[in-house]
Amino acid sequence: MSHTDAVDIDKRNDKDNDKDNDQTNGAASKPSQGADSRDNYSAFDLELTHQALNFQLFARLLTWMRPYVVTLAVSVVLVIIAAAMMVLMPVITGRVIIDNILLPDSQGSTLPDYGLIAATEWLQNTLSIEALTAAGMLYVGLVLAQALFMFGHQLTLASCSLKALRDLRLDLFASLEHKPSSFYDHVAVGRVMTRVSNDIENLFALLTGFGMLAGEFVPFFLALFLMLHISSELTGIVLVALPVAGVATYIFRRMMSRIFRLIRDSVSALNQYMQEDLSGIDVVQLSSREAMNIEQYRERNQENRKQEFAAINYETIYDNFNNSLASLAIAGILWYGGGAVIQEEITLGAMVLFTQLVNMMITPIVALGQQFNTLFRSMASGERIFQALDWEEKLHEPDKPVTLPERLRGEVEFRNVHFGYYADDLILKDVSFTIAPGEKLAIVGPTGSGKSTIIRLLVRFYDFDDGMIFLDGYDVNQIASHDLRKRVGVVLQDFHIFSGTIRDNITLNDPAITNERAEWAARVVNADRFIRKLPNGYDTELGERGRSLSQGQRQLLAFARVLAGDPEILVLDEATASIDTTTELIIQDALHKLTEGRTSIIIAHRLQTIRECNRVLVLHHGLVREIGTHEELLEKKGIYYTLHELQFQDGAVAAEILGADESEQDAEAWQSPEEDEEESIRENFKQPLDNPLGGGTGS
Amino acid sequence: MTSFTATGPRRERSSFKDIAHLKNLGVYFRRYALVLSISIIGMLVANIMSAIVPLLMKTGIDSLADPEIEPDIIMPAIAIAVIVIVRFFVFVVTRRIMRRVSIAVAYDLRKRMFNHIQYQGAAFFTRFSTGDLMSRTINDISMIRMVVSFGWVNIISFFFTVGTGIYFMATLSPSLTAWVVLPLPFVAVIGFMMARAMFPYYRDQQEAMAAVTEFTQENLNGIRTIQAMAQEEQEIKRFSAISTHYAQMVYRATRFNAWLGLVMPVLTSASPVIIIFYGGQLVLSGEITIGTFTAFFSYMMMVVWPVRMIGMSLSMFTAAAAGTQRIFEVLDFEQEIKDSPIADLPTRTAGHLAFRNLTFSHPGAARPTIDGVSVDIKAGETIAILGRIGAGKSTLLRAVVRLIDTPRDTVFIDGIDVCDYPVQELRRIATMIPQDPFLFSTTLRENLTYDDPGRDDAELWDAADAAGLASTVHEMTHGLDTIVGERGQTLSGGQKQRATLARGLVRNAPILLLDDCFSAVDTETEDRILSGLARLRNDKTTVLISHRVSTARHADRILVIDNGHIAESGTHDELIELGGYYADLAAVQSDQDEDRARKSRLLSNLDDSDVIEQAVEVTS
Repeated sequence: MSHTDAVDIDKRNDKDNDKDNDQTNGAASKPSQGADSRDNYSAFDLELTHQALNFQLFARLLTWMRPYVVTLAVSVVLVIIAAAMMVLMPVITGRVIIDNILLPDSQGSTLPDYGLIAATEWLQNTLSIEALTAAGMLYVGLVLAQALFMFGHQLTLASCSLKALRDLRLDLFASLEHKPSSFYDHVAVGRVMTRVSNDIENLFALLTGFGMLAGEFVPFFLALFLMLHISSELTGIVLVALPVAGVATYIFRRMMSRIFRLIRDSVSALNQYMQEDLSGIDVVQLSSREAMNIEQYRERNQENRKQEFAAINYETIYDNFNNSLASLAIAGILWYGGGAVIQEEITLGAMVLFTQLVNMMITPIVALGQQFNTLFRSMASGERIFQALDWEEKLHEPDKPVTLPERLRGEVEFRNVHFGYYADDLILKDVSFTIAPGEKLAIVGPTGSGKSTIIRLLVRFYDFDDGMIFLDGYDVNQIASHDLRKRVGVVLQDFHIFSGTIRDNITLNDPAITNERAEWAARVVNADRFIRKLPNGYDTELGERGRSLSQGQRQLLAFARVLAGDPEILVLDEATASIDTTTELIIQDALHKLTEGRTSIIIAHRLQTIRECNRVLVLHHGLVREIGTHEELLEKKGIYYTLHELQFQDGAVAAEILGADESEQDAEAWQSPEEDEEESIRENFKQPLDNPLGGGTGS
Repeated sequence: MTSFTATGPRRERSSFKDIAHLKNLGVYFRRYALVLSISIIGMLVANIMSAIVPLLMKTGIDSLADPEIEPDIIMPAIAIAVIVIVRFFVFVVTRRIMRRVSIAVAYDLRKRMFNHIQYQGAAFFTRFSTGDLMSRTINDISMIRMVVSFGWVNIISFFFTVGTGIYFMATLSPSLTAWVVLPLPFVAVIGFMMARAMFPYYRDQQEAMAAVTEFTQENLNGIRTIQAMAQEEQEIKRFSAISTHYAQMVYRATRFNAWLGLVMPVLTSASPVIIIFYGGQLVLSGEITIGTFTAFFSYMMMVVWPVRMIGMSLSMFTAAAAGTQRIFEVLDFEQEIKDSPIADLPTRTAGHLAFRNLTFSHPGAARPTIDGVSVDIKAGETIAILGRIGAGKSTLLRAVVRLIDTPRDTVFIDGIDVCDYPVQELRRIATMIPQDPFLFSTTLRENLTYDDPGRDDAELWDAADAAGLASTVHEMTHGLDTIVGERGQTLSGGQKQRATLARGLVRNAPILLLDDCFSAVDTETEDRILSGLARLRNDKTTVLISHRVSTARHADRILVIDNGHIAESGTHDELIELGGYYADLAAVQSDQDEDRARKSRLLSNLDDSDVIEQAVEVTS
């Protein structure tokens, strides 16, 4: 359910983006980069439900089976043999034992016995045993062999489908790893994730379901063949039951698919309500909402009970229906088949054989009904998986990447860079600047001015082709993105702490980074102190997103991580959320050590950070408006001066100068611990999440 | 598709020791005693009917096999048809009763769980996490439901079917019956053992799947970090290992199942083989008829199935017993905070708040979180509390509204012990806004009127305005009816905080407790909020926790809490004069003062404090 919510939000955003877009229509166009229409992305999030069987999809799925085709073939052969043996077992009791041994009168009947009578006689003669013993041994042999073949079938089928799906899952995962940032800007992670987990599982259910159906239908056809062989009229009696079972199954499934959906919805409503209530239990209790929530939960609980009751009404009828149908068919066989026996058209053993084959006729229909939903669900899953695999959106990689020297000096140059995430909406306009080796540059500017975009382009999260960016004179478009990102260390604003140990989080499981190096990096950025106090030091397991750590500690860990990689150039998007003062001081100190002697680009939100830098670049509406030292820019009394004054003087002035595009976060960006005596500050709020590319956290 | 993840503690295989816990369900068996008795009788009737069918077949077959006897097939065939149709209705009625009972039991258990949880206090939620409680309500109740609907039915029908089957067989041929049932106990025992042995395979498979899901989720959540650090290949390698492990676990479970499929038919084929060898012999010697011979095959099929399933049913029972234990562990948890209200409460609360030597330790903590705090907050006063993370600030506020188990005679409102107020009344008088800006996944309006859906818009807008939220709401397409998403995810961190603030302000309580509610709000907005607070609460008591001197300085009085004590107390000017923690903080935060000494003093203090404090997620 939460995924659905996420989709809705995405859709809403898309709509809003379109609206924004219309307003700015006619801006310079930008060549497309992969799939850049927003509609395409919402297509990715669509709920795919299939009402028709798509065999192409299935054929495509089988291509992953190709390496294991021998195993699959063996599995198919085994199931056919096992099925044949299953059908032969009642032949032994019916034809061999009853007809041939117990009722010697009917010996010499021309009804088929598939050589079993001969086999019994052969056994009897070779081992010189009684006929009954020989038939019994044959029966035992069939039981054992059938079980063994079935065993082999199950193992081979599981083995090849598991391996094929493992490969498919890996391919899917690998393709997701290499999808560019623009992809993740648009699609909800939850939606992508379910493709890797649930959808692949559904395909496994599909394959095992097929195996199961094969195990039911192969005997079905063999038994049918056998029955027709013995008596087509008596077979007709049994076959009357089939359409009845088929129609009953169809009607039942049709009804149940609706009820099952209602049950699923009611269960998830129930669970979601409880989950939310538990997560916000403090608020619930502080608002004295307990009684009202109990009532609301009761309503959902009742709804669920209602649907469950509805379901069992059908289920109990259907479950017993097929059983009863089989018994009725047996009564029919007794009536009609008995007549045939009296007429000596068939033998008594053949009639008994028929009664034993009836179940083999009915169960496949029931099984097919059970597999039907799985089949449709899997079709939709397959569609989703292949959609993700086929999503042609790749980052451009140079054909012949340049080989970078062992160590770069660290000079960065942006030359006339124009860029927009959408063709008609430029975020960066003619951005040019140069950073000398070892220099620290602070970038400031309101949200949406393009600050984050600058660093995203520098590490080639996005392709750009209007303008150039150089590292020590090398065009970044000529450097393999992998190599580039080793040289440019990035601390994103929404950096991620993974579950796993502290050490893993610093090395990111990169074997190239030794323990000593990881600990050294942690020491340099002041993280060592708190890590050593943790129960297992560097081997302390962190929860998801590192939630057992404070925000400041997580920040230090992110610093250590980037330092351990020892990049020549450091890029940092400073976190905006406020932390307590002392922690902030530690972080400032760590930042100072981290940038020491390293070319650094810092998107700064704190005055303190700006003062650490050699120069300040002011970005506004995608244009480089001012660049110089803190003092120079203050002297100039331009935008920087205004931004700076915003903290001390009347914010309205600054707001007017900056235009209407500040959002809450720019104000946050300029938050100053210094208090503002003025009470009336013009607010210009926009919902930051309306535009996921607005340069906010985008998470 | 709608897979609901509920993570609880790792489950161990249940054992017969747990069976006693099933007595907790006795109340349900008593409640539904009548219908259950009817369904048990129905089951017996249906079983007997099933057992008659082979007898009728026998009559027909014998008449066909023996030329001496007049063929008699039409009456048996009609009798079978009639029996089958009647049995169908008996079955439907009995099954329906039993499954309805199981649904009703599950419904009732869920209701009891939810109701019970609502009124629990901190100790309860420390013991049971959200994931744990969800897991108990979902998995354990469904386990119990299985047992109520199938488990005991299987066991009863085991006795009925096996009993009637053997009885009818014995009337046909006692000696053959003796031989045929001989292998059945082995089948039952081995079936049971294998059903139990399956558990670890199944669990391993579940855990391996969870690993795949977790890895993928984390990886995709952190995809930008991974790409920025160029670790994609590394991650693919790790994922390969995890998904291969999963495939192996599924394979192992499948293999075990396949073994079951191999062993069981082989074992159960002993009975038909005996019928062939011994029964065939008896037919040849004329002791039994061919009809009896075939009837034995039918009875054998009838009896073998429940015997094969008995192991499964028994392990279902032990699992349900363990589930019952986990459910009642929650339901039997004593409610920590009990109402002991006094009779005559004042009709109007002035808002005088007093702490008298309050000491409080969190369960299992080495030292008290709050250690002998005494403060008097006059009605209408605004108090700011500052202090490091983990100093005990939040606990102080939680003690007022009894979100912790506040000791008696320590906290007073208008001179009355908070423990003497009915809890709901207390929380109406003293509104606390917790640090975590939690919003429910509904509209903004419903969030703001969470405690009282009857509020009118004017009140809401007034509170929204004071919380600095009004202009944001105006800009939203749907205004107050905007759906905020799960945990308010469509709002920014600052917007969420302002929304929770508005939710608290709208209640207009005599006492308002704010736990660091401006941390994600920028300074300008904070000023608006502070002036809004001043407007709405000029004659009411307000206590606010903050990290910022800019927030605190407006307060009538400032308290600095350190290690559970009040370290400093006074007005802004007095504390600056004092030159302690507050003054250091003020100096550093002003950013004008580059005094290194003060910075390092704050830094070194931080070393002493407990750095492994639970983090507070300000942003989503």
